[in-house]
Amino acid sequence: MARPAPAPASEGARTERWRLALAGACGFVLLAATIEIVLDAAQRHSPLVPRSPQIAGWIASLGGERLGYRVFLIAILAASVAYGVLLWLLRAHTHNASLSRWAIGLVVLLNLIVFAGPILISTDVFSYLAYARMGVVHSIDPYTHGPVAIVGDPVFYYVGHDWLRVATAYGPVYTLISYPLGALGLVGGLWGMKLYALLASTVTLALTWNVARRRGHDRVFPLLAVGANPLYVIYGLGGAHNDLIMLALMMAAVAFTLSDRDAAAGAAVVVGALVKATVAVLLPFMILARRRSAALYGALAALGLCALTGYLAFGIHGIDVVSALNRDSAFVSTDSFPNELAHLFGKPGVFPVDHDLLKAALVLIVLHLLWRTYRGYDWVAASGWALLAISVTSTWLLAWYILWPLPLAVVTRDRRLLAATLFVQGLFIVHQTSPLFAPVS
Amino acid sequence: MSRVRLIETTVLVLVALLLAGATVNDVARQTHVNQRLIEDLRTWRAYTHHDYHNLSIEQTLFGERSQREVVCGNTSPGAPKARVQICLAIWGPVVDGKRVVHGGWYLPADTEEDLRRHRYGCFGPTSSGICPTATEAAAEHRSTFSGTGA
Repeated sequence: MARPAPAPASEGARTERWRLALAGACGFVLLAATIEIVLDAAQRHSPLVPRSPQIAGWIASLGGERLGYRVFLIAILAASVAYGVLLWLLRAHTHNASLSRWAIGLVVLLNLIVFAGPILISTDVFSYLAYARMGVVHSIDPYTHGPVAIVGDPVFYYVGHDWLRVATAYGPVYTLISYPLGALGLVGGLWGMKLYALLASTVTLALTWNVARRRGHDRVFPLLAVGANPLYVIYGLGGAHNDLIMLALMMAAVAFTLSDRDAAAGAAVVVGALVKATVAVLLPFMILARRRSAALYGALAALGLCALTGYLAFGIHGIDVVSALNRDSAFVSTDSFPNELAHLFGKPGVFPVDHDLLKAALVLIVLHLLWRTYRGYDWVAASGWALLAISVTSTWLLAWYILWPLPLAVVTRDRRLLAATLFVQGLFIVHQTSPLFAPVS
Repeated sequence: MSRVRLIETTVLVLVALLLAGATVNDVARQTHVNQRLIEDLRTWRAYTHHDYHNLSIEQTLFGERSQREVVCGNTSPGAPKARVQICLAIWGPVVDGKRVVHGGWYLPADTEEDLRRHRYGCFGPTSSGICPTATEAAAEHRSTFSGTGA
């Protein structure tokens, strides 16, 4: 006698249970990989941990070994695979309260673990602090001098060698909000920078959740796609990068447009661009799509106010964002795609003519996206594509640059943008792996 | 608009393939370079009889693609670069896991960068033009100790 086939409902429930159990396991791997990196990084003396005053001494006492490339890369690869599987499992998940609580808990834990640990990977935060201390403690304009002007200051020792003679490239809004931290001393200022990054991350994630809901998307998927992203957590938050502040203002602009507050949206983009200029690329798409002058007026009002404040605080150099961008666009990093393509075609690296070709390609892409937006394509997706194109064509690519399009990608219906963003992030991680195959020591 | 979307997707796939190819090629290239650097470090340790691990490698002195490296390390135990350093110019094929030392020079203790004006005691066939001449060295010495240097 044949057994009766199981009821489809119970089969579905069992699949669902397996799916959630596997998602839980992925969350565990993400947490374990992050804890491993933070514990080992707290031991210091690692090429992956910049020289830093001791700010995570109590974590160092918990154990761990000096963070080497092998452990770091294995942890990042494990976290990336877990992250990818997690997103795949939850890609079509309908909202439920317990899953939401679990996702929020996971993201909060990941953020707090990294916040409690030492600075990871990059020395940039010491440059931020050096510029702040130049202005507040030494009365030196950070737009005309590099940190070398404060050789005797305790932060000088920690600034990256390549940036010692480089004046700040950040906007006057960022420089002004970083000034209060300059007065807190080295360790206090460093914790202040970490707190800024944590707050900015929290705002970005809250707005991503909010915007996803209001645009009719599931909320859990976007939250995890951004807040559990290994590059976002380890490189972005771990390095306390000011890109997170820019992302928070970018998502604020998107949220404002959903409330029909176009003037505030335009102003948010401008304020974001005066933290880090890249986000300015959102403005033409927003204005073109909304077809309202309010966004333009809001942007102009914010620009006028901020430019006046910047001019009064720093003079003409404080509002000359263009020359800083031109200077930085000439840099070449080993991880940039143009550099990899140059190697693929047998060239030793990027030549000046390549910079011009890349700029031309970027202009063409932006023009195409503007045309698409004019014809009704989602301006948020178009902005995300533009940010992705900027990072891919840039000869100076760092891990936190490929985070820019991510919050936009998770709140748009065009899933190609999220796929492309995660693909580019995946390639970036793969490009880091050569020490696994031939560890130099 | 579906035709535009199709074209866009095709272009995206082609770009993705190109970037993936470039990334894999670069990982293979870097792995090959790392392999060579491992042999350079082994050569430095064998030549100096010091099993030190905090060594620095310069790959651009003889040209970006020359595959000729300079490896520097302390001549006695101490923090990295805190002692007099010996730098070896290394290139050529690998024999028994090592490459050939074609010469070298010394750097004073606490010298962060391997600049021409800091070098002394050049030896081997590569030394020509690598170290400062006696006149340059004397000028450097004067500017260092008189405090009137530019």
